[in-house]
Amino acid sequence: MATLAGSRVAWAERERAMRPDFVLIGAIAALSALSVLMVYSASASRLEAFGLPSTFDMRRQAIFVTFGAAAFIGASLVKERTLRSLVPFAYAGVVLILLAVFPFGDEAKGAQRWIAFGGYQLQPSEFAKPVIVMTLAALLAPAEEGYMRWSRVFRAVGLVGVPSLLIFLQPDLGTMIVFGFVGLAMLFVAGTTMRQIVALALAAFIGLGVVLSLGVLRDFQLERLTAFLDQESDQENANYNQNQSRITIGSGQIFGKGLFAGEQTNLSFVPAQSTDFIFTAIAEQLGFVGGAAVLFLYALVTWRLVMIAARARTRFGQLLVAGVASLIVFHVFINVGMTMGLMPVTGLPLPLMSSGGSSFVAMALALGLAHAMWLQRSPVPGERQIL
Amino acid sequence: MRLGWRLAALGVVFLAAFVVLTLQLWLLQVARGDEYDVAAARQQIKIIDSPAPRGEIRDRNGEVLAATRAASAIVVDRSLVPAEREPEVIERLATLLDMPASEVETLFTDAGSGGRVVVGEDVAAADALFVREHAEEFPGVAIEELPVRTYPQRTAAAHVIGYIGSPDARDLERPGIRPDDVVGKFGVEREYDELLRGARGLVKYRVDAGRNILSVEGRERAEPGATVVLNLDLGVQQALEQSLDNALALARGEGELAVRAAGVVLDPRDGSIQAMASIPSFDPADFVGGLTRREWDLQKNLGAFNNFAIQGLYPPASTFKSVAYVMALEDGIFPDEAAAPSAEAGFFCSGLVEFRLGDESRQTFRDWKPEGHGLVDLHGALEQSCDLYFWSIALRVWSESGARGELYDEAQIQEWARAMGFGAESSIDLPFEQAGLVPDREWFERAQRESPGRVRSDSTWLGGDVMNVVIGQGDVLATPLQVANAYASLVNGGTVWRPRIVDRVVDREGGEVFVNQPRELGIYELAPSTTAFMREDLRRVVNGDNGTARVAFSTLPAGVRNQIGGKTGTAEIDKSKDINTAWFVGVAPIDDPQHVIAIVVDGGGSGGRIAAPAARQVFEYLLLGQEVGDEIIPGEEAD
Repeated sequence: MATLAGSRVAWAERERAMRPDFVLIGAIAALSALSVLMVYSASASRLEAFGLPSTFDMRRQAIFVTFGAAAFIGASLVKERTLRSLVPFAYAGVVLILLAVFPFGDEAKGAQRWIAFGGYQLQPSEFAKPVIVMTLAALLAPAEEGYMRWSRVFRAVGLVGVPSLLIFLQPDLGTMIVFGFVGLAMLFVAGTTMRQIVALALAAFIGLGVVLSLGVLRDFQLERLTAFLDQESDQENANYNQNQSRITIGSGQIFGKGLFAGEQTNLSFVPAQSTDFIFTAIAEQLGFVGGAAVLFLYALVTWRLVMIAARARTRFGQLLVAGVASLIVFHVFINVGMTMGLMPVTGLPLPLMSSGGSSFVAMALALGLAHAMWLQRSPVPGERQIL
Repeated sequence: MRLGWRLAALGVVFLAAFVVLTLQLWLLQVARGDEYDVAAARQQIKIIDSPAPRGEIRDRNGEVLAATRAASAIVVDRSLVPAEREPEVIERLATLLDMPASEVETLFTDAGSGGRVVVGEDVAAADALFVREHAEEFPGVAIEELPVRTYPQRTAAAHVIGYIGSPDARDLERPGIRPDDVVGKFGVEREYDELLRGARGLVKYRVDAGRNILSVEGRERAEPGATVVLNLDLGVQQALEQSLDNALALARGEGELAVRAAGVVLDPRDGSIQAMASIPSFDPADFVGGLTRREWDLQKNLGAFNNFAIQGLYPPASTFKSVAYVMALEDGIFPDEAAAPSAEAGFFCSGLVEFRLGDESRQTFRDWKPEGHGLVDLHGALEQSCDLYFWSIALRVWSESGARGELYDEAQIQEWARAMGFGAESSIDLPFEQAGLVPDREWFERAQRESPGRVRSDSTWLGGDVMNVVIGQGDVLATPLQVANAYASLVNGGTVWRPRIVDRVVDREGGEVFVNQPRELGIYELAPSTTAFMREDLRRVVNGDNGTARVAFSTLPAGVRNQIGGKTGTAEIDKSKDINTAWFVGVAPIDDPQHVIAIVVDGGGSGGRIAAPAARQVFEYLLLGQEVGDEIIPGEEAD
C-alpha cells in the first residue's frame, strides 16, 4: 500500500515530527550555562576563604548539568504510553523514598531533606515534583472538561496530599506550596468547574491558616513568615536575608557591577547566594539587563511549554506539559519574588540555576518529559487522541 | 493548533507572573538603584576613628597651663572574645582593675553582643603592660591610647583656661562635632575650641558580612590641636590669686561677709591681659572625668564656675570719679565756687549737702567722711575721694543742661564713661562677658516702661540720679575688667584697647595659625596735661598725706611707692546691713604705665582697707619680684 511517493511523504512527516524544539532546548541550555558561571561567581570567594579550590562548586554544578542533559535527552525519548504505565511505580517509589528521609536522612539547617547517595546527597522532594505532575496528569486525563466529578478532585487532592504531607514534615513549606499551586493549575486545565476551583483555593487558604495556627511550623519558618508580613521588624535577624538580598539586587542598577565584581556577593552579605539566593548574584553582577534577560529565558521556556501543551497528542501529554510549565513558573515566581521581597523566604531553588544536583536533574527530567510530548505531537495541528 | 481557553488563561497567569517580577526588578535596580547602591557601599565600610589630642594652653613664658597626655584605656571587642571564655576574661579584668566582677559584667552587657567595651579609661602603665604581655589570657582585649586633658597648674587661672565637657545641643550644631566628642565649655577652652580641638584621625576598613576586616581602604592621622599662647604671666597670676585670697581672709577676719573676689592685671599699652582671677576657683581637671551633680551644685552655688573679673557686675563706686575728673579738666566743668585747677583750692567740703524740696522737706547727701574734707580742689578731691566735690560737678552739669540750660549735655558724664568702655562688652576673647550699665534719662524711662520695679516709678530722672552716677553708685554697674581697661585709657592718653587673653595660636611646627593683634576699641582725645594730672593725682592717692590708699602702701620703700598710682572705691551694697564692696584700681609705673590692676572684694568692706593692700602685694611682685605670702597688712578705712 505504501507507494514510493507515499512513503516519502510519511518519511518527511516523521522527520518533521521528530524535530526537537530548538527554542526550548536553546533557552534551557543558556540557563544551564549561566548556572555554571553564576555558581562559580557566587561561591569562589567563599570557597577561597575556607581554603578550598575556588572552582569546587562550579565543577560540581557542571557535573550536575551533564547529568541533567542526559536526563533531558533520555526523558525526551520516553514513549507517552510507556510513561503512563510507569506512573504507579514512580509514585510508589517517591512516597517510599520520602518516608526513608525520616530514619535515614541528614539534617541540615533545621530540616531533614537529604539522603546520602554515594558522594552526593539526594533530595527526594525534588524528584517528587515531576512524579506528582505525572501522577496528576494520569489521574486527570480521563476527565471531561466542565464535568469533573468531585470524587476525581478528591482523589487528585489525596494523591498530591500524601507526598506533600511527607515533604511538609521534613519540613519544607515551600515545596508543599508549589504542589498546591501546580495541583490547582492542573485541575483547572483538566476541566474542573469554576465552583470546584474556588472551593479548592478556599480550602488551600484555610488549610494554610490552620497549619500556621496549629504551630506545626518550626520556629524558623514562622519567623520568616512573620518577618515577611512585618518588613520593618527585626532587621537584624529574620529580615536580614531579604534586606541584604534587596540591597544586593538594587545596587546592581541597570548594567550591573560586572561579572565577578559583585562586592555584596563576594563579601558574603547574602546568605545561600549560590543556592536559593542565586538570583541576587545575577542581578548584582549583570544588573537589570542581565536579570531581565534571565527572566526572559524562563518566559521563553514557559511559552514553549504552553505551545507544546496545546499540541500534545493526548490529554495526558497536555496535562503533563501544563504541569511542568506550572512547576517552572511557580518556582521562578516564588524564588525570584523572595529575593526581591515580594514573597516570604521559603527554601525553594531557582530551577536550572541554583547550585544543587537533585533540583537540576529533576527539573531537566521534567522538561525532558515535556519535550517528549513535543516529539510525539500530532502531525495534524489540533488533532488529539481521546485516551 | 488549538490552545483552548483554559490553557490560554493559564498562559495569561504565567505572563502576569513574569511581568510582576520584571517590574519589581525595575523598581529595585533602576528606580531605587542609587539608594541601594549607597546602602551596599555603606555596609561594606567600617570606620574606626581616633580622637585628636587637644592642643596645649601655655602662658606667655611657655609655662604649660593645659596639656594632653596619652592615657591607656582597656578596650574589649566582644566580637573577638569567644563566648565560653567571656566569664574568665571578665574575672581577670575585674581582678586587674580591682573592681567588682559584676560591674565589669554590666559594662559588657550594656555594650551588647559584639560591642566595644571600655573597661578602664585611664589605667596604670603597669596594668596596661600586663594585658599586653598576657595577650593570650585576654582574648579580644586591647590597649588603646586615648588623649586625656591635664591641667598641671591645678586651680591657677582656672577661669581663664576654662574647662571641657560633653557637647550640648548648641555645640552639636557646629560642624564636625559629635556626641562623643569633648568640647570646650568655658574660658579659652571654649573660645578657642575650634583651634584647640584638632581633627580626628580615622581608618577606613573594608569588611565582609561578618564585619571581618578584609583590607585597609584609607587612613587619616589624627591632627593634634594647635597650641594657644596666652598673654597671661603665670607668676603674676599666682600673685594676684594669692593676694585675692589674702584680701578675702582679711575681710572675713574683720567680720565682713566677703565671699568672692576678682582681679585683673592688664597692660595699658596694648590691652594684653597679664593676669585675671576669680575667687573661689575650681580645678579644671575635675571636669575631665565629669563632676558629680553634688560637686557641681556645691561649687556652682559658691560661684566657682563664674569668672567674676568679666561676669561680675559691681557698682564701680569712687573708682568712677575719675570719669568726672577727666570731664572737669577737658570740658572745664567745675563746681560753681571752685576756681580753675591751677588756682587756690576754693571748694569747701563740709561733709554734707542739703536740698530743699518743693514740699519744704529736706534731702541730705552725706560725704563718706562725716566731718568733710575741708578746702579741696579737683586734685585734692580725687586724692581724698571727696564726694561733695564730684556731686557739685554733677549738679553743675544738671543745672546747665536739658530743660534748664544749653551749656552742657545732660548725659555728658555718661558719654565720657562710655568712651572709656563702660556700659558695653569689651569684646575680650573669653565667653560670657557682661556689658555693665551706665544709666541715663533714656535708660531710666525705658526701665520705667519695660521693667517696672527695676527703678522708682514716682518721678522722672533727677539731678540726684546724676549725683549717684558721678560717684559710681546707683545703677552704675561695671566689671573689674571694664574698670581696669578704663584706667588703662586714662593713663595711656585716651586709647581704649580691646583686652586680649590670647597672644597667638601656633601649630606643632611653631607656625602661627592665628595672631591676636592689638586692636583699638576707641580713642578719645585727652590733652597731654590731663593725662599728666591724672597720673599725678593717682600717685597722690597712694603717696599723698590725705590719700585714701596711703596707709595700705605706707610700708613700701618710698622709691617704689612713688611709682604707684591708684584709686580706691567702696561700693555701698546694703546700707542697713553695712555691706560694702571694696575696690582698688592701681597703675605702675605711674610715669610709664605698664600694669593696670583692678581688684574687687565682693562684700569686703572698705576699698582702702581691704582691696588696696591686695593690690599692693601684686605690685610687690611686679615691681620687686617679691612672692606673695599669706600675710596681709590692712590699709586705712577709707572710701
